[in-house]
Amino acid sequence: MDPAYTLIFTVFPYLCLATFLVGHAYRYVTDRYGWNARSSEFLEKKSLFAGSVIFHWGIVGTFFGHAAGLLMPQRILDRLGIDSQVHMEIAYWSGLAVGIAAFIGALLLLQRRLTHPRLKAVRRLNDTITIGAICLVVGAGIYNVVFGHYNVLYSVAPWIRGIVTFTPDAMLMKAVPLSYKIHVIAAWTLLGFSPFSRLVHIWSAPVFYLLRRRIVFRRLAGQS
Amino acid sequence: MKIKAQYAMVLNLDKCIGCHTCSIPCKNVWTNRDGAEYMWFNNVECKPGIGYPRKWENQAHYRGGWQLRRDRLELKAGGRLHKGLNIFHNPDLPVIDDYYEPWNYDYARLIESPKRQHQPSVRPHSRLTGEPMVLKWGPNWEDDLAGLGETGGGDPNFKNLEWTTYLQFHNVFMFWLPRLCEHCLNPACVASCPSGALYKREEDGIVLVDQERCRGWRYCVSGCPYKKVYFNWKTGRAEKCIFCYPRIEAGLPTLCAHSCVGRIRYVGVLLYDADRIAGAASAPSDEAVYPAHLEILLDPHDPDVQHHADDQGISANIMAAAKRSPVYALIKQWRLALPLHPEFRTLPMVWYVPPLSPISSQVAPGREADLIDRLRIPITYLANLLTAGDEAPVRRALQRLAALRGYMRTRRLENRTDTGLLDAVELDAGDVEKMYRLLALARLEDRFVLPTKPVVGEAENYTRQGRCGFGDAV
Repeated sequence: MDPAYTLIFTVFPYLCLATFLVGHAYRYVTDRYGWNARSSEFLEKKSLFAGSVIFHWGIVGTFFGHAAGLLMPQRILDRLGIDSQVHMEIAYWSGLAVGIAAFIGALLLLQRRLTHPRLKAVRRLNDTITIGAICLVVGAGIYNVVFGHYNVLYSVAPWIRGIVTFTPDAMLMKAVPLSYKIHVIAAWTLLGFSPFSRLVHIWSAPVFYLLRRRIVFRRLAGQS
Repeated sequence: MKIKAQYAMVLNLDKCIGCHTCSIPCKNVWTNRDGAEYMWFNNVECKPGIGYPRKWENQAHYRGGWQLRRDRLELKAGGRLHKGLNIFHNPDLPVIDDYYEPWNYDYARLIESPKRQHQPSVRPHSRLTGEPMVLKWGPNWEDDLAGLGETGGGDPNFKNLEWTTYLQFHNVFMFWLPRLCEHCLNPACVASCPSGALYKREEDGIVLVDQERCRGWRYCVSGCPYKKVYFNWKTGRAEKCIFCYPRIEAGLPTLCAHSCVGRIRYVGVLLYDADRIAGAASAPSDEAVYPAHLEILLDPHDPDVQHHADDQGISANIMAAAKRSPVYALIKQWRLALPLHPEFRTLPMVWYVPPLSPISSQVAPGREADLIDRLRIPITYLANLLTAGDEAPVRRALQRLAALRGYMRTRRLENRTDTGLLDAVELDAGDVEKMYRLLALARLEDRFVLPTKPVVGEAENYTRQGRCGFGDAV
């Protein structure tokens, strides 16, 4: 038992997770007016196109890749005929594709936000920090994919599953290389920060639009 | 039959002098904020011209409104799945330059300038970047046909006309078109909103954006074919004309209507059959939408309609207002008012009486009926604007207006009544008398027949005071 590891890889993730949950509830109750995608397409459309489209599809792919690869135990995949070797191969190539897309997109968006004169009018430190943090997390992730060559299936993956299932084991992270540690710590931090940023718009993804009737009517409260 | 009530407005373009007085109180009250400074919930366009935002009528460009595809009504910009796939970048969204880049003047220079040989001057500064800017476009840039030689080709109302002909001095024509949100029966903005933030009020048909539910996906902005939903670039959400509902609920007319010095605006209640909206909006041809739209507007004097309205809980004050509604008379009874671009298939509820204009050439004696085709403003142009190209309704409205004038002229100057003029346009003297009163003399209470909202929870109104609205954004 190493108290430093417990602090960083057990206490800190749960702290971030708690902030994430409570933060969203708090934000939704107190600042629904600010719960928003904060799109700047209306001010500048051309350079947004490349950045936004590449980034978003990349990050959506990255998210589902992580969810599928890390949360599903290897023994289930083994039963499905995907051994760890194949798993790593799939993760490597798909991760490389979506990760690089997300990274390039995020860099384009960061560059656009910092240099375009019109966006100064809507620039907020919060947005810059958010996109900067995303660049850091995604950048570290790509570094790991390209240069890491470390098998995460029996270390990082069970550690994540441990946190999700409330059976945390910080020692699983002991032998993990530094770049992976940076990646996960940065990711947890971003997760904890996200309720206070524009990233809340993720939770407003318009799923119900696919189901609802086209014209919405509302009745004044208090009237039959 | 499912009866609903709806506020509607009629604007008599025959009397609009393009003074922009309507736009000013609207701007001062509703859009006098950063991020909204470029928005004009009400604006006055000079026609012909490409308008505000530029080319708003051109749906090949913005893909707003609805279209029929294989007899099914669908959003022109694409369905739900299309929106989902393009949510990271809305290809049809106008940018702020399509409206204009807002600017301000550095007036302090005038006051603080030291004594110099030359007068100090002010320069425009962008309200987005703060940098000095060269003005190349702005609100109302096209007034009095300014720049028509450049932009005229972009005005889709010149369909079937050669626009360059109307650049020649002896053919030039113009009129004004004040525009606000149409509060449509089949609003494309509402159908486009992924968040379900836009809604139509069941009681009075006013279309609003729920500011706490808007997530800034921007599809309403591109979905509205009239481009009357605006994106607040500062708060990142949509705003639009609210038909001054706080005033309307209290029985006061909208600011634009109330302030109109020409008294061209009429506001009142219409009853419509909500069950037949989809049918009317998917009329088989573009020209058929206007008659289908008229068809679903119900006659409040019809006992059958009254009976149904009573059953469905339409309140007595709304029924009373519907019976006295000036907009019902102008739209349905006399067919003087016509919808704006019915081919967008949103079933708009702000209608326009087409303008008469000077007669540009004489006709042989006895052929006076042909004069209506010699008006300076081509009927084809008005028909492209108001009836999807069908000239018959425009011609009928103009002939009725002309007959009204002729009738009143003979009565006033020659002291006789000439109902022959009226027979030709299928009106009787009683109708014309009412038309004359409504179009020429009507007082405030005749032009605006507004049932007040039933008061519920009076005490609550005081606790809500100062708590609703744009809050911190102001």
